[in-house]
Amino acid sequence: MSAIVSPVRKPLITGSKSYHDITEDLISPTEKTPNVLWVVTFLLSITTLGFGLFCIAWTVWNGIGTWNLNRTIGWGWDITNFVWWIGIGHAGTLISAILLLFRQKWRTGVNRAAEAMTIFAVICAALFPGIHVGRAWVVFYFFPYPNTRGPLWVNFNSPLLWDLFAISTYFTVSLLFWYTGLVPDFATVRDRATGIRKSIYSFLSFGWTGSAKHWQRWESLSLVLAGLATPLVLSVHTIVSFDFATSVIPGWHTTIFPPYFVAGAIFSGFAMVLTLMIITRKVLGLEDYITIEHVESMNKVILVTGTMVGVAYLTELFIAWYSGYVYEQFAFFNRALGPYWWSYFGMMFCNVLSPQFFWSKKIRRSITWTFFLSIVVNIGMWFERFVIIATTLARDYLPSSWSYYTPTWVEIGIYLGTIGLFFTLYLGFTRVAPVVAVAEVKSILKTAGDQYTGPNAHKHAHGHVGDHGAGASVDIDENPDTKIK
Amino acid sequence: MDKKNQDIWVGMAHKNNDPALVEAAGKEFVELPIIEALSDDKIAEVPANRRDFLKYLGFGLGAATIAAGCDVPVKRAIPYVTKPDEIVPGVATYYASSFVKGGDYCAVLVKTREGRPIKIEGNVLSPLTKGGTSARAQASVLELYDVNRVKNPGAVGENGVVTKMSWADLDKTIGGKLNASSNIRIVTNTVLSPTAKKAFAEFIVKYPNAKVVTYDPISASGMLEANERSFGDRVIPDYHFDKASTIVSFGADFLGTWISPIEYASAYAKGRKINPKRPKMSRHIQVESGMSLTGSNADNRVLIRPSEMGAAIATLYSALGGSVSAPKLNNKATAAISKVAEQLRGSRGNSLVVSASNNVMEQIMVNKINEMLGNLGSTITFTHASLQRQGIDSEIQGLISEMQGGGVDAVMVLDANPAFDLYNSDKFITAFAKVPLKVSLSYDLNETMALCDYTAPNHHFLESWGDAEPKRGHLSIIQPTISPLFPTRQAEASLLVWSGSANYKASAEQPYYEYLKTSWNGFFGQQSNYASFRSFWDEALHDGVAKLGISEREYGTVAATVNIGQITSPSNAEVEIAFLESINIGAGQYANNPWLMEMPDPVTRTSWGNYLGVPVSFDGAHSFVGYKGIGQSMVKGYADVVNLTRAGAEEGDRITAFPQFGQPEGSVATNLGYGRKICGGAGRNVGTNMFPYLSADANGNTQYFATNVAVSDIVDINYDFPCVQYHHTLGVTAKNEAGETINADEAALVDFTYGVVDQGYQGSLTNRSVIYHTNINELSEFTKELGHKREEAQALNAQSLYPGHEYLYENGHHWGMYVDLNACTGCSACTVACMAENNVPVVGAKEVSRHHEMTWLRIDRYFYGDVESPNTVYQPMMCQHCDNAPCENVCPVAATNHSSEGLNQMAYNRCVGTRYCANNCPYKVRRFNWLDYTTADIFPANQIDLNEEEIPYGADNLTRMVLNPDVTVRSRGVIEKCSFCVQRIQEGKLTAKREARKLRDQDVKTACQTACPTGAIVFGDLNNKEGELHKSLDHNPLVYIALEEINVLSSVNYTAVVNNRDEALDA
Repeated sequence: MSAIVSPVRKPLITGSKSYHDITEDLISPTEKTPNVLWVVTFLLSITTLGFGLFCIAWTVWNGIGTWNLNRTIGWGWDITNFVWWIGIGHAGTLISAILLLFRQKWRTGVNRAAEAMTIFAVICAALFPGIHVGRAWVVFYFFPYPNTRGPLWVNFNSPLLWDLFAISTYFTVSLLFWYTGLVPDFATVRDRATGIRKSIYSFLSFGWTGSAKHWQRWESLSLVLAGLATPLVLSVHTIVSFDFATSVIPGWHTTIFPPYFVAGAIFSGFAMVLTLMIITRKVLGLEDYITIEHVESMNKVILVTGTMVGVAYLTELFIAWYSGYVYEQFAFFNRALGPYWWSYFGMMFCNVLSPQFFWSKKIRRSITWTFFLSIVVNIGMWFERFVIIATTLARDYLPSSWSYYTPTWVEIGIYLGTIGLFFTLYLGFTRVAPVVAVAEVKSILKTAGDQYTGPNAHKHAHGHVGDHGAGASVDIDENPDTKIK
Repeated sequence: MDKKNQDIWVGMAHKNNDPALVEAAGKEFVELPIIEALSDDKIAEVPANRRDFLKYLGFGLGAATIAAGCDVPVKRAIPYVTKPDEIVPGVATYYASSFVKGGDYCAVLVKTREGRPIKIEGNVLSPLTKGGTSARAQASVLELYDVNRVKNPGAVGENGVVTKMSWADLDKTIGGKLNASSNIRIVTNTVLSPTAKKAFAEFIVKYPNAKVVTYDPISASGMLEANERSFGDRVIPDYHFDKASTIVSFGADFLGTWISPIEYASAYAKGRKINPKRPKMSRHIQVESGMSLTGSNADNRVLIRPSEMGAAIATLYSALGGSVSAPKLNNKATAAISKVAEQLRGSRGNSLVVSASNNVMEQIMVNKINEMLGNLGSTITFTHASLQRQGIDSEIQGLISEMQGGGVDAVMVLDANPAFDLYNSDKFITAFAKVPLKVSLSYDLNETMALCDYTAPNHHFLESWGDAEPKRGHLSIIQPTISPLFPTRQAEASLLVWSGSANYKASAEQPYYEYLKTSWNGFFGQQSNYASFRSFWDEALHDGVAKLGISEREYGTVAATVNIGQITSPSNAEVEIAFLESINIGAGQYANNPWLMEMPDPVTRTSWGNYLGVPVSFDGAHSFVGYKGIGQSMVKGYADVVNLTRAGAEEGDRITAFPQFGQPEGSVATNLGYGRKICGGAGRNVGTNMFPYLSADANGNTQYFATNVAVSDIVDINYDFPCVQYHHTLGVTAKNEAGETINADEAALVDFTYGVVDQGYQGSLTNRSVIYHTNINELSEFTKELGHKREEAQALNAQSLYPGHEYLYENGHHWGMYVDLNACTGCSACTVACMAENNVPVVGAKEVSRHHEMTWLRIDRYFYGDVESPNTVYQPMMCQHCDNAPCENVCPVAATNHSSEGLNQMAYNRCVGTRYCANNCPYKVRRFNWLDYTTADIFPANQIDLNEEEIPYGADNLTRMVLNPDVTVRSRGVIEKCSFCVQRIQEGKLTAKREARKLRDQDVKTACQTACPTGAIVFGDLNNKEGELHKSLDHNPLVYIALEEINVLSSVNYTAVVNNRDEALDA
């Protein structure tokens, strides 16, 4: 990385932080007693999670008949939620992998939390394939394990099986990537800790010493994982979209689905990152690390991807008309004007119209607006999946079988339960690991900290600017926290 | 050791005769050190060490696991000590018998497995039903295993609770209460059995003041009386629908419920199946006021209000030259009927006019009309007149006043339910209470039985000996297929015992069998085909049917005169209500049959109840508007509730209403038979009882409509409306606001409008390749167009990314099916047959309302044409066994896959239940076990005898006897669907293999095929070029494959529907 810093770029770390300040700011939340707000939120989350678990137990005990799916509409909120959560998980990998490869420095402020979000979202998503089936107790049939049932293998033609592999791969790589990033930070936590915490973090940090060799290997591993994860960002939602695109049902059977799903996934992922980051920076006081610059950058991504899905929606409509195929025409006619018109309207408004506000720089840089619109986008993307799944199935080829679908309390409960699960995990995460990647932030301090590039730049004389590679820029001598033992 | 062996030794110890070795060699078993150690007495005293602990722990854990994992053996199976000749385990035996209930009749073969009847098949030897069946006949086997049957003779208490008595005690008690001069009345519905009538006669000999009172809940008494006056013969004539080129029916639902629907449907279909090379079909005009099954099959419907029926008949009569001045009829109908008259004149001698009117004078006019048209002797004959309705309404009314006056000493009620199915049941009930001795001979629990003092329960027909004479000269045998399940006794036998008949030898092994045989000795003389009684009887028993030589009886003229004053005069009421007999449950006598309750009504597609059909029109813009706004907010499971009130009643009935296409303006309609109060669990309090709404005319004949009713505005919403089909139409046209004819369906599909944007999608509903229909006049043009469409689809389908992967089944079998939509009347016999054959679970009203019904074969119903009087098409829809099946490739665990014979098959054990296959099925025929419908997963239900406990339907051992042992009972969480009756295919193949021959065409028939009264379904091997299936499909330009262009290569072929609608009648 070059050390040339454009004077027009806004600093990514404000508040004239020293390395020590960074350590204090980012590690201390894991060391202090949680505040009341955290406790209340955690209790709320875990209660919701508990209710969700109850609803899952209810489903498994009594059958999928406790949901309102029917002979026509075999998937409803279950798969809607599944796709929605998977989509949300996309931003983390995008930020950590693709932005790393593209040397986007601003990613360091948000990548840790985004990656954590990915993992938790994938956990929430992975729940649904397991519990939406009629016989959850034989769900292991999905795995191609050696068995005594004769030459009975899984069906490699089935997109559901592709899904299984895509998601498990994605989860594994994301988890590794996330943990790799955490190792030096855990070492920092370890160094400050005493007693039992010290032992735990010693274990978690795998004996990290901060030696140059460690840093070098760590850099290499990050790069390798980034290389692996990058195609996954594109492949996972592509394969999820195959669940629909390879079918024969008009409204599902479309070649536009892979890019459209990926764009949608990044769109919703960034919205969720924003929602989380805006809360986190406020609650943990990280405004200097997750700055308006970050928010704006992400809003730009939302604007781009939102417009992409908008184009996709319009393309679908055009192709339906242009195909001259009555079933395809009807599928889209029905989406827009049929009994589920409100969900189509909701999707169009939330996903296509609402991000257009971000053309305005003022709105792009407004925390309130961003927070509000990020929620709207999340709702919109949920609607999109609902529109694709439920409204398509509700009215397909044979008018005799047309039906309608509204969820039962059990389905709603399970959805709320996954939100509870997500926040329980996230809140736990904020207590045990630095939500901002300490080492990585330190690595950009001298190229993007405001005492070096911002309005305070000339107050701090500093000699080392620009001498380091990306990962090796932590100045051990100046960092009192990272001592070599 | 033997010396000889000394030179051969194994080891030094052997050579030296080591004493230890010698000792060991003398023992049978070599003792291993461990055994020695274990056999050491002291071992028990050693305290367990750590290893022992682990051993015991391991053993304990293993043993517990094995013990917990093992099934508790079911000990109920007892092998035959002496195997009966006719029972081979695993092989079905068929017995010819007859399904008879009141006037309903069907010649059947009863399939039994290991001595247990499990399925009803049609008897092809019957000249009447010709192998066809009805839904009711198909479902009758379930009644045998009804847990709510009257299981013991005894005294009847509150709500039909029986205090057990022995037969001897009961006979003594009843005998003691009867004396030679007792005024005894035997109340029955139509009795078809000549032998039963002989038994009644013997009873009357013993008790000369006894009388038999016959009535029918859905009465034809007006017709019987009219025929008596017209021809001097109180019978229903023999109608020949196959010979009629113009059929006009005044409200007679002859394909669904009227007199003998199986026979009529089969004959009717002959005139409707179309040969495209010589296109000719009968024209069927239905004049009616509620959408009946027959009306829905008609080419033209003339809509009248129910009270206008007499006027409509009179209008036709006068148009044909009858000298009457008909009362005023609505203008549209008047115009239509004068055109109908012209057409009838044009087909003199081969037209047929029938009417379900229960007014004597109206029926006399119908007779006059047929006389004028020269139909008497051609399409209407009398030699083999039908005896399927014999009840006279005035008789039961007379009985009520007799009982009221206290002049009746005893009433025996035989399988009739007058406390429910009379218009004045309340009067019957009060009068009945005054009778000192009331005996029920009913087989099931019903309202009348509950009012009786004693019950002498009848056998189910599958446990009985008996006979039937549905038409003069056509005899039919009922033979038992199982020993009586409970201590019941045949009703005729009870009467014979009480009359002390000398001809009934109670000590015989099968006394009623002997009695029947004696009775048939009399019939032997009336035939000339068999020389000995033995051969006559054996043949009759084998065939199930016999024909007697009887004298010709024909009438050319109608003796009665027409008195126009005696017909019903049209009313001016704001709204009138028409009552139709339910195809499912008749007049309530089938109400306790879950299969019939669950079967959707063919026309309304509703189940588990009767609902009020109200007229519907198009508002010219975006919606179909029901009468009083009913149906506006109808979405899945929701429907509006209204209050139906009648003058004089204290309170109205809350009834769920829905818009019914084809319902005449100013009228509403609903089904009779629902609303049973004392009944088995399935029928109790389901729907609304409509009998109190009925009334009688001046002759005492029940009229099946009411004019003194009012329908309120919507008062409530029913959230559990069990309707399986919400979208009704496929191309209904209407006038828009500008007066242009538009596609009303598509306009009505718009729930929300964005203004001009929602234009330009015309055709997206009506151009679907699901149903094709045309008028016979446009046939050649249509077949060309259909041909082009199919060619185009096939050309597109031939394009492949993977050439060389064509799905061909050239070797062996390739199973396929053909469904002739012109022959299908929608009667739903196949639906019930499929449920019976394939153990399809019953899910109940609530689950049906959630669209969780499990039917493997459903009949889709679509309306097309003019919105006010549309035509209807019925499409049996089952798994299409696609050779390029979209369900198969999406299953992650390969639970659904393709057989080498082109069958799409399910491995239930492998199914995880992702439902992806169901989503991806274009025909939506896959069914998911949402909940534990079969209760197969309830452990206690599988282990202990639960007959006395409250358990879900189907979980008890009695009901489970009806299950087909060849078909797996599916558990919760798996997908199921039509298998093309793979168990029958397998059975056919095994039989052929055992007989060392090739499988012949039609060796294998599916359950739906054999059930069909019109032969609309043909199953067979597509590779058999000589087979019937190939013949049906070959060069038939009307054949198409539903959704052919999506290239799923379906194996089911349909024919395009051809109607013979006369547009002139609509004007």
